[in-house]
This record gives sequence, C-alpha cells and structure tokens, in this order.
Amino acid sequence: MAKDIAAEAAVNWRWVKLIYKQGTLIPLFASIIAGSLIIAPVLIVLSRSLTTARLGTFVGLTGENYVRVFTDPKLLPMLWNSLIYAAGSATIGTVLGGLLAWILARTNTPGKALVELMPLYPILMPPIMKNIAWILLLAPKAGILNNLLIEYFGVQGPVFNAFSMAAMIWVFGLACVPLGYLFLLPVFLSFDPSLEESAYIAGSKPIHTALRITFPLAIPAFLSALVLNFLRGLRSFETPVLQGSPAGIQVFVSRVYDAMSVDYNPGLGTAYSTVLVALSILVLLFYTRITRFSERYATITGKGYRVKAIDIGKWKYVTFLVVFSYFLVGIVIPFLVLIVVSLIPYYDFETFMKFPANMVLTNFYRVMRHPSFVTGLYNSLTLSVTIAVITVLMGIVMAFTMYRTRTYGTKIFEFIGTLPLAFPPLVLSLGLVIVFLGTPLYNTLWALGLGLFVAYFPYALRNASGSIVNIHRELDEAAWVHGARWRHVFFKITLPILKPSVAGAFFYIFIEAIRNIDVAVLLSAPGHEYGPVTLFEYFRVGQWAEAAAGGVIYLLILIVAVSVAKFVFQVKLSL
Amino acid sequence: MSFEFDSGILSVLGPSGCGKTTLLRCIAGLEIPDEGSIHIADKAQTSISKGIFVTPYSRAIVFVVQNYALWPHMTVHHNVAFGLKLQKLAADEIRRRVQSTLELVGLRDYEGRYPSQLSGGQQQRVALARSIVMEPRLILLDEPLSNLDAKLREEMRVELRKLIKQVGISAVYVTHDQEEAFVISDTVVVMDRGKILQYAPPDEIYNNPANQFVASFIGRAAVVDGTLLRVEGEDCFVQVREFNNATLMCQKPKNAISGQDCKVVIRTAEVKLDSGRLNDKGNVLEGLMLSREYRGGLTDHRILVGSKEIVVTSHKLCPMIHIEDGRERIYLYIEKSAISVIAEPRPSTPRLAEF
Repeated sequence: MAKDIAAEAAVNWRWVKLIYKQGTLIPLFASIIAGSLIIAPVLIVLSRSLTTARLGTFVGLTGENYVRVFTDPKLLPMLWNSLIYAAGSATIGTVLGGLLAWILARTNTPGKALVELMPLYPILMPPIMKNIAWILLLAPKAGILNNLLIEYFGVQGPVFNAFSMAAMIWVFGLACVPLGYLFLLPVFLSFDPSLEESAYIAGSKPIHTALRITFPLAIPAFLSALVLNFLRGLRSFETPVLQGSPAGIQVFVSRVYDAMSVDYNPGLGTAYSTVLVALSILVLLFYTRITRFSERYATITGKGYRVKAIDIGKWKYVTFLVVFSYFLVGIVIPFLVLIVVSLIPYYDFETFMKFPANMVLTNFYRVMRHPSFVTGLYNSLTLSVTIAVITVLMGIVMAFTMYRTRTYGTKIFEFIGTLPLAFPPLVLSLGLVIVFLGTPLYNTLWALGLGLFVAYFPYALRNASGSIVNIHRELDEAAWVHGARWRHVFFKITLPILKPSVAGAFFYIFIEAIRNIDVAVLLSAPGHEYGPVTLFEYFRVGQWAEAAAGGVIYLLILIVAVSVAKFVFQVKLSL
Repeated sequence: MSFEFDSGILSVLGPSGCGKTTLLRCIAGLEIPDEGSIHIADKAQTSISKGIFVTPYSRAIVFVVQNYALWPHMTVHHNVAFGLKLQKLAADEIRRRVQSTLELVGLRDYEGRYPSQLSGGQQQRVALARSIVMEPRLILLDEPLSNLDAKLREEMRVELRKLIKQVGISAVYVTHDQEEAFVISDTVVVMDRGKILQYAPPDEIYNNPANQFVASFIGRAAVVDGTLLRVEGEDCFVQVREFNNATLMCQKPKNAISGQDCKVVIRTAEVKLDSGRLNDKGNVLEGLMLSREYRGGLTDHRILVGSKEIVVTSHKLCPMIHIEDGRERIYLYIEKSAISVIAEPRPSTPRLAEF
C-alpha cells in the first residue's frame, strides 16, 4: 500500500516537472489571472440576484428578486419591447446593409462608391452621437425635421417623435447597416459567377436572377448578420436609455440601468440582468448553429472569381436612389447636424436656422473649461490606450497558452474568453460595481479599467487566437530547438509576426473603449469621470449644444486615431 | 521500438504516416512519448520511467523541417544568428560564424534578404545554415527536400550529404523516398506503423530485405509466393506457382529449410529481356509481352509470366527487343543476385535492431 502511494506521488511530480520544463507555467499563471478577472463579475451577478441584502452584507439566498421580476406586470411588455426593438432594428439594418453590399458588388449603379467607406462609418460615429443627432432631428417639439415640416409645409403638429419605438428602431437600425454590409459583401464578391450565368442561359433576366439565385444563396450570411444584429439590439444601451426611457418604453437594459441609477436596488438589477443574459445566451447558441449551417452551404469556394457587375437596366436608377439616400440619411445628415449644433450658441430651431451667421465656438470653449469633461476626456484617453495595450497583450498571452504550450484546460480558457459576449456590457459593469463595493478600488479608475478589460478581452482573445493558429507551429518549434525559451519564442517570434493583427486589435479596442458608455456609466464616479459618460449626462440634462461640441471633439480624436492606424500602421479597420 | 546509432547519417525510411516525424519530434523533445527513453551520449534526454525530460532548448539538437520554418520577419542573417544570440555570444563572433556558415551553403550574398525573397532551394539552405551554425550534437532533418522540384531535389541530396559530412555532425534524416535515403545515408531504418522493420546499411537493405514490406517499399520489385525445394551450398532452388511452377536458382537465405514457404523478391530493374532464347546458365522465364510504356530514357515492359503480370524496366541502351506489342513471346533472364528469398515464417531480427 505504502509503495502504491509513493509511486503515485512520483507520477504527479513528474507531470509538474514536465509542464514547468516546457515553460508553460508563467503564461498559464497569467491566463488564470485573466480568466478569474472575467469569471468573477459573472458569478457575482448570478449570486447577487439571489439575495435582497444591501450591498456589502450577505443574508442568505432567496428567490425574492426573481419573484419580483416575474410578477412585475411590466415584465411582458418589457420583453415584448426588447424583442420588437432588437428584431426591428436588426431587420432594417441587415436588409439595407445586404442590399447596399449587393449594389456595390454586383451592379452597375452610378455613384456606388459612396458606400465604399461604409466600414469606417461606425468607427467615426459612436452610438451616442447617432442618438444625439437623431434626437436633434426628430424630437417632437424642438426637432429640426418637425419644425421644418410645420414651418415650410404647413403640416399641423409634429410628424416624428424621437422618443418612440419607431424612432428607436430607425436609429439603431441604421447602426446595424454596416454589419449587414460587411457580412454580405464577401458573399457577393466571392460568388461563383457560373451559378448566375447558367440562370441567364436558361433565359432569366438579371433582376430575376438576383432575386431567385443570388439572394437565396446569400441567406446563410444574411441570417448570421441578422442574429448578430439582434444580439446587439438586446445589449444596446444608448438608444433605449436616451430615446426609450423618456417615453416610458422600457427594455431589459434600460430596466437594469434604472434599477441601479433610480431605485439603487442591485438585487433587482442583477435579477433582470440574469433574465437578459439567459436570453442573450439563447441567441448566441442560435447564432453558432446558424454559422455551422452556413458552412455547409458550399457555393462559395476559395477560388478567386472575378465578379462582373451586372447591367440591371433601368433599375439602376432605383438602386442609385437607395445608395444616395443612405449616404445622405445615414451618414451626411447626422454628421452635419452635430457639427452645426456644436457651432451655434445654444440649440433651438430658430438659432439652428440662422446658421452660419451665428457661428461661435462658445460650446467648445465651455466644455473645455468644464472640469468634469476635461477630466473625463483625459481619463478616457489614457485609460483606453492603457486598456487597449493590456487587453491585446493578455489576449495574445492566453491564446499563446491555449495553442502553443502544453497546457490543460484549453477549452476552459476558450469558454472564459467568450463568456463576456453573452453578458451585455452594462451587466458586466453592474457585476464589477458589486465586486468592488466596500473595497478600496470602488469608485476608482482601476475599477473602470478592469470593466473595460473584461468587456474587450473576448475580442482580443479571438483576434489573437485567429492569428496564432495561422502561424505555423514549426516557426515556434524551430525557435525551441535553437535554444529559445518560451519568453524568447513569445517576444522574438510570436509577437513580431503577429504585429499587424496586434496593431489592428489595439486600435479597435482603443476606439471602442474611448467612446464606451455602457461599461463606464456605472463605474465612473465624480472625480473619476469618463468622457463619453459626461457627454451622456450633458445630453440627459438638456445641454444639447455642449453635448454636440464634446461629441465633435471625440470625432476629431477618432479621425486622428483612424488615420494613424491606417497610414502609419497600415491597419485595415472595420467595425 | 528501439535502436541505437553511433555517428554518420541515419535515414528513417517509411511510408507517410508511419511515425517517422513523431520519432524525430520525440528525439528533439518537441513531443513526449507515452513510454520509453531517449539517451544521447549515455545521458537520458527523455525518460518517462525516471521522470526525466530535457527541454528542447537545452538538448543541442536542431531540427530542419519540410517547409523550412524560416522566420518570415527576420533576414537571412538574423535567422541564422538567432540561436547564437540566445547563447549570448560576442557580436563579432556571431557575425563571423554566421558569415562562414552562409559561405558554406553558398548564400554569402543573401544575408540581407528576407525568406520570402528566396527560392525554395535557397530557403532550404538557409534552414540548414541556421541549424549547423549552432554546432549541434545532432541534426534532425524531416523530409527537407520534398518541397523542391525533382531536378533540384536530386542535386540537393548530394550536396546535403557533402555538407553534413564536411561539418562532421551526426544526422537523422527522415524521408519516404528510398533513393534519397540510399544516396544520403550511411545507415537506413525502414519503418512502418511505428515499428522498425530493418536497420542496415543501404546496400544490405536493397540486396537483403528483411521482409516483404521492405522489399516492395524499396524500389521496383515483383514479389511472388514460392516454395523452397532444396538447398545446395550457398544456393537454393525455389519453385514459384504463379510462374507455371518454374524453378529459380537463388542465393540461400539464412535459416533456410527445404519445403518451407517463402517470398521471392525479383528486382525488376535487374532483369534482362530478350526476344530469343539464349544459351544462359541462369534463370530464364518465358513470358508474353502485354504492352510497353515509353518513359524517355527508360521503357516499362508489362509482361505476363505464368499468371503474374510483372513490369520490367529497361534502359534505352539495352539490346532493343524487336517485338511488336500484343502477346509476343519474350524471355526474362534473371541473375540470382537480382532475387532475394525471404523465408517464412522468419523472426525479423535485423542487426542492431530489436522490437
């Protein structure tokens, strides 16, 4: 018996030694830290939802919060609102995005180059700016469009209402267009032309061919984009809070936000969050099923086809109209409105119409003297650079551990790395608020930084895994046998080869973080403001012109960041 | 499996998927075997039972892989200098060694190029230079020539052997091409499905294959079943059913017993063809010419002998056989040196190898 135990101990020791000698201990350790940072808020949200105790105390488990959630008479309308909002905007966005992709890739529409910059558009226009611009345009009393209609066309009363479900779907639907476009463009570009040619030979007209052959074959990609946009709708924060809540239209995210900011009831907030998370996970599972299905659609091959633009005859004027209206409504008008409003002394319709005679820079002057905006701007700049660097590096370290060392539990890391995707950013930050409450980290930039790290880590990990898998393992092994230890392999081989994709991920996370609201809104605090949240607050208290000016400042920062990424680092940025 | 090898160039020959690469990876320390041990100069490198595992970076064994694995972000110079830099050698020492090694492989002028700017053959030589500059105890080569085109491959295998001999390091060379293995190595290991089938110098493997698999794997051969009729001194007589019960005189295999079943391996490249019956004391088989395939310098003749179709390759300069295709009579003259007899059942105990 004693002998058996001794033998077993020797075996365990041997594996420890093997792992250590393969040099996986340090990356493994780092990955475990990153993993626990991510899993902690998630677990906290779940456990918190099961107690009614005040934060910082613990009384015991109870289902009371869930009873409250499920007996809430507003629950069904809220679920209905969430679904209508997400489904409506996903449909508008994906259909329009797909249509634009087809027009660009396959038709001889004049002026189609107008949509070629599509991938850059969502980068330059943060979600909150879209909401600000469209509220300025569509607000029932003060909105530019309503006033124009009343004043010049003699319409009685306001036509549009920015604070309605229709307006919410419209604004977020426009925000969904780029994703639909980006998912479907490669499909139309890599399409096997012989499939269409055989339809022509069979006597089908171009436009019929498009409807009967081309579009049906694009269905899998279309579904993927649709479901992903739906998920984004469920997670979205700015539109429901800025346009829904004022009119009493509640969705899950805005209800969670109200539970924290109005009722200050974390237990209830977390219970609503859990329901929302369950819904998101369902959608995510559905998404993975669809993508697996679309891989079986073997019409799109790796062959480099040269797709021909089709002459669609007189239809090209219709498609031109589509392209031009999208360009105008989706891109030019919101930008113009924001810039004009930031340059007038204060916002109302009369003042707006006097532009450019009354052009002033007082709004910029005012926001730049406002301490909370200046601190917020500074914090958002420094924090997003820092977080982008750390997140990207940690993503690479974890991907390196998963795919390049002999670690066990790769699947667990993968799971942890994708877990935050199921959690709307607001829910994650709610979890972190609860984690940090009562610790010295509460109400500090550290907490905020951690929140951003958790929110963007999945992206960094996916990006790094994708690139590391594409690097031949032999390159690492050649370094091993030439005397390199893991740190040499990591710093001298992996990292330099990954440089382009590292730069891409860095800029992506920087750009996402610097304009983040839904993670920062619960984690920023007086004295530790975050720029975009400050803008959000301005807007909520009616300082529209200041909000616009602050927005334009962010716009300038984003233009600089995108140009540096594009021209200095040759990064291809999209979404 | 288990084998020892001293110095020189050892080839591991076998069909793809037989475990050759895994063997090399275990030697290099990139793979941990389930059991067993690997020793170099009597020091254990991997020993599962003793819990010993020397990391790949401290084994002083280098590994050249099929696709060279040159680091794309480094110039030729930096690729070659990589390992030396990790050894923290002085800068001028590194430069000197890198330059002399590149000189050796004939790439002195390509130091500043990136791998993508080099041809396949040049990349291959950079990979080799990168390895030999380390002055390793052992160099492992995993099908290093298989990505080159046929002509270059033939040139490079001679050059490779010359180079390894010149540097004087031991090498283990993995390939599935028997010709390559024979040209390059001093000793050959034939492997199949993770087992060693024969461990011997090239000529012995060719002339004395240990079993049917080795026989049919190394070069063109016809393998038929036979019965050992009798043994006469160093010779033996084997009756082959498929050749209309013709009797062939062959060299006696070890442990030959009369009446025993055996395999007869005829190396078809060594068979002489003629349309007439010559007065020859050796083995003569009668066959029917089925068809001929012209391959340039060589011609393949498909000949039906008894019930067995065999393909005999003849050189262009061999006496032309004035025979039209289509079941014309032809005679095959087979020296006894062109035949190996593998007695069955035969315990495969090749020299130095045990399994």
